[in-house]
Amino acid sequence: MRKGSEGRRRLLLIILIVTALFLITLDLRGVGVLEGARQGTQTILSPFQRAGNVVLTPLKNFFSDVTHLGRTRNQIEKLRTDNATLRAKLANRKNADAQLDQLKSILDLAGTAGFKVVNARVISQGSSQSFTQTITIDAGSDAGIKKNMTVLSEFGIAGVVKDVYPNTALISLATDPSFRIGIRVAGSQQIGILSGRGNRSASLQLIDNLTSVKVGDILLSRGSVANRPFVPGVPVGYVTAVDNSVGAIAQSAVVELYTNFSTLGVVAVVVGAPVSNPGDALVPMKPQPTPVPTVTIYVTPSPTPTN
Amino acid sequence: MNTRQISIAIPMFLIIFVVQESLVDQFRLPGGGFSLLLIFTLIWAILSPHEIAALGGFLAGLLMDLSQSSSGPIGQWTLLMISACYAVSYLGFGNENLSGNPLGLTFFATSAVFFVEIAYVITGALLGVQTGSFEQILITLFGISIWSLVVTPIFLPIFSRLHAFVFNTRSAI
Repeated sequence: MRKGSEGRRRLLLIILIVTALFLITLDLRGVGVLEGARQGTQTILSPFQRAGNVVLTPLKNFFSDVTHLGRTRNQIEKLRTDNATLRAKLANRKNADAQLDQLKSILDLAGTAGFKVVNARVISQGSSQSFTQTITIDAGSDAGIKKNMTVLSEFGIAGVVKDVYPNTALISLATDPSFRIGIRVAGSQQIGILSGRGNRSASLQLIDNLTSVKVGDILLSRGSVANRPFVPGVPVGYVTAVDNSVGAIAQSAVVELYTNFSTLGVVAVVVGAPVSNPGDALVPMKPQPTPVPTVTIYVTPSPTPTN
Repeated sequence: MNTRQISIAIPMFLIIFVVQESLVDQFRLPGGGFSLLLIFTLIWAILSPHEIAALGGFLAGLLMDLSQSSSGPIGQWTLLMISACYAVSYLGFGNENLSGNPLGLTFFATSAVFFVEIAYVITGALLGVQTGSFEQILITLFGISIWSLVVTPIFLPIFSRLHAFVFNTRSAI
């Protein structure tokens, strides 16, 4: 009796493992049914994610404030001086204002280059359990978004559309380990390939071994055929460290991405790009020092003393 | 498992999956956060006989494969979770020092989360899945483990009661 139960248990385990291996084989061979299953799951989940986003936004704002306490100390000090009504009003509008600021910057960026964009809100952050960096946005194929379109943040490249569903889209962030983008260095026009590393710093590999980059160089997207997956001329990041190892085929460097991925609230998907390349027009301007007015006073002594 | 147990257990896994995808994933927690479904399934496996643990692992793994954030091929998490749950059940089921002790259960579940994630990285490397730099993998591994250690004691009584409800067992932690 016990032997029979043991045999049944083994048989079940073998069936489950064979099923799993069968699924892996089918997926690696590109069987569409399985991809459809993933898309179907996302379609079912998207209303829950939208609801979750609405419900948890105040809580997320609270945690965000706690996380950024050190950095926003000056802002908090300033807010303390405001009256209670104004503070309450600001607290309620904080999320909307931040998203509006991001949206304005994105539209400025897209407008300068002449990109046609679809704006969308971030409704979910992908789990890191699979070591991926993704977000879900609340616009999909119904809004004209297609797979492999460039996604912009207020500062530049945010990622690329990985999957599209009717009302949502999955974005692979530029920090994702599988993310690759062809770049050129603003000014010198050297080209290379930038790879995500799981955090805000990415790695750059130059293609030509006769060229070199230096710290502070600004990187722009090189663009792809038919502007997909990447439109040209969008700021990506700047070089923070250069690896000059002897024996390397070509120079490599560490790049700080412009986009702040922890505060992504609104993004824009480029659905149409102009025929002409924007060149270096989108290179972010260096901060200008505020001019200090100088007042010169000329004193002319009067010819006769006054009483 | 009889029909009643299956009809209760499947919605339970589905609800936890939806909670994970729509609520827990909304927070971009430092160090990668935690997976409620992974913790639930491993606790389920510790408290269950081997074949039930493997079945639970199969269901949870399939759901994790269908998650939008899963980068590997469909079946990778399924295979891992079947193996992990069977192993965890083999080591933990019937061991009262472990399954009857909340502290032991927490540490066992957290260790299991850590080893499952390592196994995911290794199998991912074999299957060609990009998992990032070594430094980032270490941060995520330890981040998920620490979060699991923090979160498991909070959810342990709930998960334990859910398991007891499904299998009509009296003891719940």
